[in-house]
Amino acid sequence: MQIEIRKGMNLYPGSCNAVVAPVHVMVSAINSNADLQRFLFLYIGGNYSRVLSGIHRDSTNFEIRRAFTAHQLLSVLREASHTIVLVEHDPTLFEGAGKMLAPVARALKDAGRESLVILYTPAIDRTFAALMRQADRIIEIAAAEDISSRVSPRAIRLQRNGGPLTGGQRTLEVG
Amino acid sequence: MLRGTAMWILDSAYRNGGIDLWTKEGGAVTRVHHPYDPPFLVHFADPHASHEMIGALEERYSAEECTIRTVFGSLPGYRVVADRMVVEAIEEQAQYDVQLFNVDVRRDQRFMAEQGIFPCSANENDRFSHEVSHDLDVITIRIHGEPERSANLPEVELVHKRTERLAGPEGTILSDLFALFSALDPDVILMPDADAWMPRLRQLAERHGLPLPFSRNGKYRAMNSRSYWSYGRMEHKDAALVPDGRVLIDTERSFVYREGGLEGVLMSARLSGLSPSLVSRFTPGTLISSYETYEAIRRGIAVPFRKSDGETVRRISTLQAADRGGMMFQPRPGVFWNVEEIDFTSMYPSIIVQVNLSPETIGHPERRGFLPEILDPLISMRIRTKQLKKTDPAIEGIDSILKWMLVTCFGYTGYKNAKFGMIEVHEGITRQSREILLRTKEIAEEMDFTVLHGIVDCLWVQGDPVELLKARVEKETGLSLEVEHFDWIVFEPLADGFGAYNRYFGRLPDGSIKVRGIAARRHDTPEFIRSMQQEMLTEMSYAGTVAELDALWDTVHARYRDAVAQLPSAPVQEMVISRRISRLTYAHRCIEGAAVRACRRHGLTVAPGMKIQYVVTDARRYQAEPVWCAKIFDQQYYRGLLDKAWEEIAFAFRNGNQPECQPVKCAGLAVW
Repeated sequence: MQIEIRKGMNLYPGSCNAVVAPVHVMVSAINSNADLQRFLFLYIGGNYSRVLSGIHRDSTNFEIRRAFTAHQLLSVLREASHTIVLVEHDPTLFEGAGKMLAPVARALKDAGRESLVILYTPAIDRTFAALMRQADRIIEIAAAEDISSRVSPRAIRLQRNGGPLTGGQRTLEVG
Repeated sequence: MLRGTAMWILDSAYRNGGIDLWTKEGGAVTRVHHPYDPPFLVHFADPHASHEMIGALEERYSAEECTIRTVFGSLPGYRVVADRMVVEAIEEQAQYDVQLFNVDVRRDQRFMAEQGIFPCSANENDRFSHEVSHDLDVITIRIHGEPERSANLPEVELVHKRTERLAGPEGTILSDLFALFSALDPDVILMPDADAWMPRLRQLAERHGLPLPFSRNGKYRAMNSRSYWSYGRMEHKDAALVPDGRVLIDTERSFVYREGGLEGVLMSARLSGLSPSLVSRFTPGTLISSYETYEAIRRGIAVPFRKSDGETVRRISTLQAADRGGMMFQPRPGVFWNVEEIDFTSMYPSIIVQVNLSPETIGHPERRGFLPEILDPLISMRIRTKQLKKTDPAIEGIDSILKWMLVTCFGYTGYKNAKFGMIEVHEGITRQSREILLRTKEIAEEMDFTVLHGIVDCLWVQGDPVELLKARVEKETGLSLEVEHFDWIVFEPLADGFGAYNRYFGRLPDGSIKVRGIAARRHDTPEFIRSMQQEMLTEMSYAGTVAELDALWDTVHARYRDAVAQLPSAPVQEMVISRRISRLTYAHRCIEGAAVRACRRHGLTVAPGMKIQYVVTDARRYQAEPVWCAKIFDQQYYRGLLDKAWEEIAFAFRNGNQPECQPVKCAGLAVW
């Protein structure tokens, strides 16, 4: 059993994976995987979901548990006994509960000893960064336009040292 | 023991390892201290794995084995007398595999609930009564000026049996105010913006070497300010300084006082078992959760500290079917006459009670649930007050607070931190409500009524006789209904031409106009525009039929033309927009962002959830000024608002098809 996130990029049971990818990539990885119909799949969401509305309703083994607090997420992870566990990251769960990041990250790692655990977000944030530290693999899939528009570290260094502004006027500088 | 003791508790506070109860008897207020150091309860999922910690708790904090009674059943556990730091250490060391109870219950509330006593009543049977007498001495202190901006202490007004006006040098005003206050020795202080003025008064008193007289023992409880989300809206609560032994109500900012007056505050204190000063600073959500907590403790049920039980495992199709809100029927926009509004009284809480919905009854319908049991007396009380307020306006405040508590008790079942909430209960309530509204529509149509519109617990129908319809729906659903007749009603359109769910106005038989969602009702409408629309509505209230309404076109249209003519010379103060801000930084340029920046530029400390008042000075350049320094306003921007308000009214005249109803665009301004 495996999930192919992108061609040649497979995730296997017995691992904890942090995935940063556009929503459509994640949704199509779930919908197009025939294995998901045969194995127990648990989706864990938070106060809102970007993924859920795109999932086919006929996915028979697709089960859902939502956690609205970090403590609930911890309980749900500890009780999960599915082959695949997909956690859609919700940073609001950790508002005022920063202490829970470490135990939740440990619970994700523990669940990943037997199951395929995917901690997913379309955009990385501080709490996701804290949770993904214990992951076995970190995968980031960015849309091409996102990559092209990103500022390179070199450009940032240059800018700090008085170089031209990224995206700013580059044709004429009058001293 | 205090159980069964009749005493009028005015205030309560946790002080020096016990509870101070301030009671009023025979005109005298006395403080009685009751030593009280309550334990919290802890249940270990695996006590063997935690034996070392349990040993340490027994040794250091005299932990004792006990049975913990929860809404779901009994659990073995320990009773520990220790502070919050110990609680957090237990959680961390047990890797959050513990359940804790009675950790964050206010000690004065817990004391009163355990003793079976409650504030603001001398009779132990009065808790759910709307008739509770008191002989409280009430004064009003008004400080004229804006607390955030007044450099010196402005004129002060003290209202008791007569009104005293205090003006002059700051020290003189203060000493006069404090002397008068001490002589009057009131029980209740009503004070607009009290929470903003109290810290200032304390500073000034220190500066002038005067003791602050508002507390009866010189002690004050400090409450911190905070911003929080409530019903999708950012709210802000100011810090407060609450005196011991007296009731201090910020009449300007207290939701409970605004809705329910002093009687509403006192009733809230009785229901929640908390001091009136505290409950006057509560939102309806905090009020209902405090009521639930008091009831749980009173019944010996432990109050969970953390929300750790996630929803049950479900299939995607089951979730998609369950996770819906209330039912809506989109109206056809237009003017309708002889319309009946059928409204279910406290529909959601009634469903909770009738269907026995509670976290512990999901999957166990045979059990009597905690939520239905505690909501039952509130609903009975609300049904009584709703009837009584028709003849006794004094009941209106109490009724309004009960309404809000019952409204929020539904939302609270789905709130992530609700002590006795669960998302499945929330979904169960909305599922039932959808079925009830659909069934009501079917019954109405079976009886040849025309259904015009429906929102969650309310249906608008045309037909006769409505009494028979009411009786049949009440019989079939088991819920009580209220019927309100409209001589005519206007359902406003959306931009796409379909009917808006929540924007309508109509004439009631007594000649008043019920208004929802239009400019005159919205909080952010500038006074100039609000008063124009209000005057039009008043004019329209004279029309008992649609034909009479049509005849008013010229009068109403003339009022609009007057407003357009007066706009350029209107006072800036009438252009003030009041809005609650949700954030401090805005990703895109917008008027609200400009107003926030302007407030900060002028030295006002703003926080998310706070209400700010501003005037738009140049909408195209996104410029606004705080109310106190605005000299001009953007006429074109306000003309746009004026036209929108007018369009809402003009629609009532044959659906806006009057020949003169079509606007003509001219230099960016619509001329009618």
